[in-house]
Amino acid sequence: MAILEEPIRQVKTLKNFIGGEWVQSKGKIVDVVNPATCQTIAKVPVSTKGEINAAVEAAQEIFPDWRRTTPVARARCLFRLKELLEEHFEELSRIQTQEHGKTIDESRGETRRGIENVEVACGIPTLMMGYNSEDIASGIDEYVVRQPLGVFGIIGPFNFPFMIPLWSAPYAVATGNCVIIKPSSEVPLSQTRLAELADEAGFPPGVWNVVHGGRTVVNGMLDHPGIQGITFVGSTPTAKLIYRGCGETGKRVIAQGGAKNFMAIMPDCNVERTIPALMTSFFGNTGQRCLSGANLLIVGEDDKFYNTFMDAVTAASKGVIIGYGLDESVQIGPVRDKEKKEKIIGYIESGIQQGAKLRLDGRKNIKIVGDYPGTCFLGPTIFENVAPDMKIGSEEIFGPVMSVMRAKNLDEAINMCNDNPFGNGHSIFTSSGKAAREFQYQVTSGNVGINIGIVAPMAFFPFSGTKDSFFGILHTQGQEAVRFFTESKVVIQRWF
Amino acid sequence: MRLHTASEVISFAKELENESASFYQNLSPRYAKDKDVFLSFAKENERNVVQIERTYYGVITDAIEGCFAFDMNPDKYAFNTGLAEKATYSDALEKAIEMEEIIVKFYSDAAEQAKSLLADVPRAFTMIVSKRNNRGPKLRSLLKEEV
Repeated sequence: MAILEEPIRQVKTLKNFIGGEWVQSKGKIVDVVNPATCQTIAKVPVSTKGEINAAVEAAQEIFPDWRRTTPVARARCLFRLKELLEEHFEELSRIQTQEHGKTIDESRGETRRGIENVEVACGIPTLMMGYNSEDIASGIDEYVVRQPLGVFGIIGPFNFPFMIPLWSAPYAVATGNCVIIKPSSEVPLSQTRLAELADEAGFPPGVWNVVHGGRTVVNGMLDHPGIQGITFVGSTPTAKLIYRGCGETGKRVIAQGGAKNFMAIMPDCNVERTIPALMTSFFGNTGQRCLSGANLLIVGEDDKFYNTFMDAVTAASKGVIIGYGLDESVQIGPVRDKEKKEKIIGYIESGIQQGAKLRLDGRKNIKIVGDYPGTCFLGPTIFENVAPDMKIGSEEIFGPVMSVMRAKNLDEAINMCNDNPFGNGHSIFTSSGKAAREFQYQVTSGNVGINIGIVAPMAFFPFSGTKDSFFGILHTQGQEAVRFFTESKVVIQRWF
Repeated sequence: MRLHTASEVISFAKELENESASFYQNLSPRYAKDKDVFLSFAKENERNVVQIERTYYGVITDAIEGCFAFDMNPDKYAFNTGLAEKATYSDALEKAIEMEEIIVKFYSDAAEQAKSLLADVPRAFTMIVSKRNNRGPKLRSLLKEEV
């Protein structure tokens, strides 16, 4: 298969998008590197505190006008944005593959998921409605309206550069707020392109801003009294810092952290259908997602089933095609960068040291399709005999590593899931409705899958999470996002 | 090289549609008496491409097994659309019938394997199978007339 054409062909220095203008940053410039080719594809600024302040000011300035713009008119901007995103669907998808390394199918899937959030937010005239009660006392009525709050910061992660900011931004602007998006500086290109399209869609200058950078921008958001709230997706330690910082400064917060998801395999599962689901779950996006499978938990004491199942999993894992995601035949791309690969290798080494049995070693004999440097590539790794307290059994690896455990029965499996500090997306594979019901009822996890490897909620459902995977109350996406980005104002009225 | 990803299979389906459309377009001036039939097939192929792309781009998501849904050998669905200069109309029709059977087999196999994708993908493939299945009797009746 030929390599699809790359949309990014020139190395440009990215600018911030502030108040409707593309502004060159005064901060230092760092390279954005395609992890498959190891070539620099862009340069991105590490913006200064002054620049985040300027973005907040621009957003604050337009906010009174934007909130008075009718929800129908705001929705029309989103409809135009949706049309532009469809028009540029393929370009946006390929940019994600270039900047992140994921396969083209994964990038297109990400683009589709992002657009779906814009589509849901287009329903804002209905979604934002309040409610009322007539005659709460004789001649007195009470009602609730939902009002926007002002300026919100959206901090994106590296693993879903296009989609994740769209879990928040469409709802924020639809409800009459203004946003400042800080993409991950490792993958800033798709958000830059998105901002260009938002501009073309007709959002007034200052409603949709992008400020590139790192810690300075994040701290600038946390410290700025003009920012009403922050949504964040990233690691658990940073999510905790954001949560605490927002608490201290009185901001609203949605902070989504890491995960360690269990895929519980019952002996009555449909093996043929389960294996591809597990390949996607554990190795899709090269394991770099908070809904990835991490621990494969085989339930029951039937050794014959265990051996047959593990033979099938191992055979499928060995056959995975690795390479540059713009090659349509590729099933997993590279890890985002060399440092992340080294971190994953550190986990593999710890697994060996702590006594787990290495059944498939993704560090060795990786066949990369095409002539690409092996710098960021890792193959699927499978460990057996993993104990829940081993590092590979308890910590988030964020790479293509499967830690296999066994549980005597469903109760023990559920307990093992619940003993883990994270609670993002546990799944069960079974043909028993009773077992599935028991699992979803008992397991402490924000998202639960039944014969689903990646429990990614659709745009009209909240992206949930619990324990160390989520800090906050309301979630991104759908109605909960609308509530997060609005204040309920209660009015009680009486006329004399 | 086998086909594993949804993207590969969609591209392969498009190739089949485009190749068979070219075949019919080439037949139409050569065998002008039935050119309307051939041009209508070529037109339908274009619509099939739109339908496949729309379905794929509409339902592809990171939450399904897009990269792991298929295991197909493209060689099984290879066909030769070349016609010798001296080929008779019957030769051309026989080639068309053979080509349609191969393409139907491809879509049927792809629909079966795409079951783990969202329902729309196998449904789109199955709809094309049913449209293409109508072509066989038509081509056979032309062949019968010719013979």
